[in-house]
Amino acid sequence: MLRTPTVLLLLLAAFSANARVCEVRPGGGSITQALAITADCDTVRVHAGTYLEGTITIQRPVVLLGEGWPVIDGGGVGEVIIVKAAHVTIQGFVVRGTAISDMNDHAGIKCISVSDIRIIGNRVEACFFGIYLSSVTRALVAENRVIGDRTLDESRRANGIHLWKCSHVDVLRNTAMHHRDGIYLEFVTDSRVSYDTSAYNARYGLHFMFSHRDSYTHNLFHDNGAGVAVMFTHEVTMTDNRFEHNRGASSYGLLLKEINDAHIERNTFADNTVGILLDGCNRATVIDNLFDANGWAVKLFANSTATRFEGNRFSGNTFDMTTNGDLVMTTLTGNYWDRYQGYDLDRNGKGDVPHRPLSVFALVTERMPYAMVLSRSLMVNLLDQSERLIPTLTPATLQDTAPLMHPPHG
Amino acid sequence: MWKVYKYTMLDLARNRFALGYALLLLLVSIGLFMLEADNTKALISLTQVVLALVPLLALVFTIIYFYNQYEFTVLLAVQPLRRQSIIRAQFLAVGTALLGAFLLGVGLPVMAYAPGPIGWTLLLTGAALTMVFCALGMFIAVRQSDRAKAVGIGLATWVFMVLVYDSLLLWLMFSFSDRPIEPVIVPLAALNPIDLSRILIMLKIDLAALLGYTGAVYQQFFGGLGGMLLSFAALMLWILLPAMAATRAFARKDL
Repeated sequence: MLRTPTVLLLLLAAFSANARVCEVRPGGGSITQALAITADCDTVRVHAGTYLEGTITIQRPVVLLGEGWPVIDGGGVGEVIIVKAAHVTIQGFVVRGTAISDMNDHAGIKCISVSDIRIIGNRVEACFFGIYLSSVTRALVAENRVIGDRTLDESRRANGIHLWKCSHVDVLRNTAMHHRDGIYLEFVTDSRVSYDTSAYNARYGLHFMFSHRDSYTHNLFHDNGAGVAVMFTHEVTMTDNRFEHNRGASSYGLLLKEINDAHIERNTFADNTVGILLDGCNRATVIDNLFDANGWAVKLFANSTATRFEGNRFSGNTFDMTTNGDLVMTTLTGNYWDRYQGYDLDRNGKGDVPHRPLSVFALVTERMPYAMVLSRSLMVNLLDQSERLIPTLTPATLQDTAPLMHPPHG
Repeated sequence: MWKVYKYTMLDLARNRFALGYALLLLLVSIGLFMLEADNTKALISLTQVVLALVPLLALVFTIIYFYNQYEFTVLLAVQPLRRQSIIRAQFLAVGTALLGAFLLGVGLPVMAYAPGPIGWTLLLTGAALTMVFCALGMFIAVRQSDRAKAVGIGLATWVFMVLVYDSLLLWLMFSFSDRPIEPVIVPLAALNPIDLSRILIMLKIDLAALLGYTGAVYQQFFGGLGGMLLSFAALMLWILLPAMAATRAFARKDL
């Protein structure tokens, strides 16, 4: 893992000791010249202004610093900045003007097969791909605002922060909006995505595949076209994230497909059509999350095994849980369900009769979605009540044996 | 007509049952809001109560009141009054009393505890349901000469609308589950005033889930102002048609 403070200290030390700085001003030299291999400086300081220099290629270790938000405009012909050397820092720029292409992945800032990259505090505006890292090890992408062009339709957009075959990358405190996928990771291992905001993207807020041993914490994903979808990955940690207001026929707060050993803790799922969907997930641990006012809080496909739900709070959802099979190998214990009607005679805070979160009506709508018209009718209530008394239709194993009487943590 | 309306209203104001109805609703509403910490949840429970209880009591009260007033009605009929205006005045008076009880019993608590789109929809649909079942009650009472029979028919109507109709819908869905029955189900559900009211309220509560699969159909059918107006127009029809039928039947009735 890259230690941000240490690196910053080192950087400061480098500055004060023997930094050779090139200054670039509008009308006073070009960024391309200052970055040339023969140039005698390790820091290029770019002052406010607009720089139209086509694609800028960085081929040596350098610190590229923008002062007063200089604008680097690619002119709409291809990439804007390409990094082809290790130990490069890019900070404080407004980057815009990529080409949109079906053939090439043009990006605002693209790094290819390098290591030790730092992209900090830039504004990447209306680019096709925003920040694009391919085969990069050890990188820090932090505090950037990657905002796409909201007027384009999905086929003309690409990903905000796109990582491919990377390892040890920290994606911190960025904002990605109006792209296709906000944050996209494929074959990215041992990385960290934290404190980011990903919203209003045409497809997924966060999308990763084959990205093992990564952690996602304290992020906010809201109003994305299809929510968050993650697939084919093992050892994923997702904690303290918020998944909010992802609504639509194929929209999910969090869709987990073929995810093994996921650890999902203290997240908030609110106001989504589906809070969390587990499809073919093994050994997922879902604890201390809040599911509030979702259409379906949890959709658990029967091909998921050894899933554990503990200490979660379910409130105000239309359906708390549905599944599509009879044999469900899931452990539910110590969750709070606002629908629970049991009692607690021994006063240990846990209900004395098990709670069955799966209602008959949920099963009916699973088979016939249009049965939703009968939701909350007297007939459906009676049906659910009678099933609660004498369970015959719902899977017998799917029950919370120790439901909480009061919501956890207030 | 307004004179009859006035005297019926005066009589209704002294009616213990109407007062009891208002108090019952008030008790249920306030009780739910006090029991449930989350006001939205309480409102949802209240919705269920309103959708079942209001039609039942409106129906039964109207029928019983018609028979209690029967002698007075006969007395009025021998006066130089148009029969239509007698029955209209009675319908309006009973409707006003029930509406007043509803607004007092449910409207006040809802406005106090949980004002908002769900609350407003609940009040509007509840008020419409009150009038619908008052009109239906009038029609049943006018058509039947036997009081017990009329109450029986009223109860049967209520059970049908609140329970049997939905069961039939569900049965229909199961029977035709392999055919594209979806476009038929929603209009069918909307034919029943109780279902229609429930759907209108549900559109506000379960929006997240509704946007799942059936979203498209719902949005087409009820989405936007047009659908809302159409739905309330349907409820208005449910008031007007039985009321007109009752008027006609009363005009021809051998008193």
